[in-house]
Amino acid sequence: MNIMKIFSITTAAVLLCGVSFAQAQKSESSIQLSFSKKTDNSKIVNALVMGKKSGEKFSPAKNAHISFYAKKEKELVLITKSITDGQGKTNALLPKDLPLDTGRYFGITVKLENDSVYENSEEELRLKDVNLAIQLNPHDTARIMTATVTEITADGNVKGVKDVPINFYVQRLFGIMPAAEEHTVNTNEKGEAVFSFPKGIPGDTAGNMTVVARIDDNDMYGTVESQSPCAWGKVVPLEKDPFPREIWGAQAPWGLIITLSILYGGVWFCYFFMFFQLRKIKTEEDLTVNS
Amino acid sequence: MSKTIYPDSNIPAELSVEVIREDSLRPTRKWGRSTQIWLGCLLMVAGWGLYAYIHQLRHGLGETAMRNYVSWGLYISTFVFFIGISHSGTLVSAILRITKQDWRMPITRIAELMTFVSLLFGGIMPIIDLGRPDRIANLVIFGRVQSPLMWDVMSILTYFTGSTIFLWLPMIPDMALSRDRLTVCDSRFKKFRKWLYTKLAIGWTGSKTQWKRLELVMTIMTIVIIPVAVSVHTVVSYIFAMTLRPGWNSTVFGPYFVAGALYSGSAIVILAMVVFRKLYHLEKYITYRHFDLMGRVVLALTLIYAYLNLNEYWIPAYKMATAEGHLLHDLFSGSYSTAFWLCQFGTVLFPIIVMCFPKGRTPGMLAFICSLIAVGAWVKRYLIVVPTLLHPFLPIQDVPQDWAQYFPNWVEWSVTMGALSGILIVITLYAKLFPMMSIWEVVHGAKVEENKRIATEKGEHEEEELLKAESVHAKTSKGKTTIVMANGNK
Repeated sequence: MNIMKIFSITTAAVLLCGVSFAQAQKSESSIQLSFSKKTDNSKIVNALVMGKKSGEKFSPAKNAHISFYAKKEKELVLITKSITDGQGKTNALLPKDLPLDTGRYFGITVKLENDSVYENSEEELRLKDVNLAIQLNPHDTARIMTATVTEITADGNVKGVKDVPINFYVQRLFGIMPAAEEHTVNTNEKGEAVFSFPKGIPGDTAGNMTVVARIDDNDMYGTVESQSPCAWGKVVPLEKDPFPREIWGAQAPWGLIITLSILYGGVWFCYFFMFFQLRKIKTEEDLTVNS
Repeated sequence: MSKTIYPDSNIPAELSVEVIREDSLRPTRKWGRSTQIWLGCLLMVAGWGLYAYIHQLRHGLGETAMRNYVSWGLYISTFVFFIGISHSGTLVSAILRITKQDWRMPITRIAELMTFVSLLFGGIMPIIDLGRPDRIANLVIFGRVQSPLMWDVMSILTYFTGSTIFLWLPMIPDMALSRDRLTVCDSRFKKFRKWLYTKLAIGWTGSKTQWKRLELVMTIMTIVIIPVAVSVHTVVSYIFAMTLRPGWNSTVFGPYFVAGALYSGSAIVILAMVVFRKLYHLEKYITYRHFDLMGRVVLALTLIYAYLNLNEYWIPAYKMATAEGHLLHDLFSGSYSTAFWLCQFGTVLFPIIVMCFPKGRTPGMLAFICSLIAVGAWVKRYLIVVPTLLHPFLPIQDVPQDWAQYFPNWVEWSVTMGALSGILIVITLYAKLFPMMSIWEVVHGAKVEENKRIATEKGEHEEEELLKAESVHAKTSKGKTTIVMANGNK
């Protein structure tokens, strides 16, 4: 009986130590959040999760289990669950009818919980939902572009938001480019920011391009973006030969190819001719033997 | 199979065809204990080099001393050195063959063999320098024709193929001889040798048509191999000269590399001549005259190399442009100055002075001088590659200490010594399988000498007869007392 007791206590102690050890081995974690609202009014929360073992630096937390919650009064309503990628990143598309508080703010809480590798952690985001719209006349030669920031009040009316910095950009192939050196305009009392678009920005073959107005990473609104196509760009004709043959180009000049082919081809021709002659030596020997 | 016919008449008694053949083939039948010990030692070094290379392959190039700035270290220096040696075959064999220098005959095979082995291992060195050798295939798949690296691969491949053919062609009649002699002589690996000699002899019987064909292909090969060899080292110089770096940005690099290659290559041939002459008792064939003539060749090449060397350093030193100036200061009076000046004085100027005197062109002296030249040429390649990489146009700042300096570590030394052992293993195995002299050419040379001797004796006899007749005529016609000597002097 005593032996059984000792065995049970020892087993429990070992298991307890193992569990504690496993818990002690978990990495510290942290979450950074950002919010963006696109032209189609889709709202996305991006999370960057970092992990750190004791004595090491923070590095992206791969395959961490993340839960996204919306704050409804004092409760948290689960929106979605996700797993981080190799760079510790993940995101969630927020529902259109997000619950708002009395100040017209919405709250998002992101939690790293019940993960075998990382310790639990959470981060909260509280932002105001605003709309950003662009008004422009595509054929306006003065190239005046107006971006309007509005919010819906508690009584359901639309109201302009003043003193919001709006940045104006042009969409390029791999990102956005500031439309001018001074490309930030604050909204007025009506919530409007008027920007005179500069001339000479290259567009496509018909001068078409996409203009972008953005509230960039604002503490109160996050990132809100609106895009619109227009024909304000400079017409750039299609290059007939965008990658000409040259020494420092993608393709070698014909002169070089021909010269090298003649030189090396000539030498290798001699080699093959020699092999042909040597083969004849062999054939002659065979004929001698046969005769 | 019909018996081989050889052009073998009128050979002096002391150098009869049979003596030449036996002297050439005898060493291939012996595998003495010393050979086995020598090969064993070389295999151990090569094995250690292979272990170091596998270590480098498993753990990456970070296991070497090479870092971001010095990415071409000992491996690429050795590559340039080995490619340089490969010019020996072209010089001694092709150039002397085309200029009809008959004295070359006993040493052509040694020179051609040096070309073959140095190219074989020289070509491997850049692959060793790659952290991921499997990516060499990318050169073929994605290679840019505009890149000097691509030209380098093409040139070396072409030259290696040509050199292998150039080594093999004069071997064909000798292979037939070895094949036929094997039936009567006792030797190791008899079956393998029989098979090898038969394959390499490609059914040579020595018929007139076969000789005609062989002479044709050898003439073509002799003409073709010279520009190919010159192009190889020129292109090797391009991988340096076509980059914008202090010390490499030079228009003289092409001829400078070719001259340096011929200078070091011919020195290596002399070293090999000394070794094989001694080991294989070839004193009758590789005489003092050969050393004297090869010494003159090396002297001429050293002078050309010295002239180009002067141009390479004097012109930028006169200008001392900022970046070049930093490099030159480091070479002339900085951390590389000892090696630099030892190279200039010890392996260029000193050999010139010594080889100017006939006593400096004896086998012993030449062995010493050529050893200096060989080591100096290797160090010089290192001085071309490494200091330039440590002096980029944008100064090295805020980097770990080991990035801003370089000296090869045990991995690089082991791999390089392994490659050197590989060269010596191939030379040893070759020398134990094949004759180290081109037998038929030496026989031909002996025949030419014999004909010359007969012609000279005949000429002297006729001259004596003529002088006697003249002296009698002089006495009788003028009636004066004139003493006429047999050689015609009064």
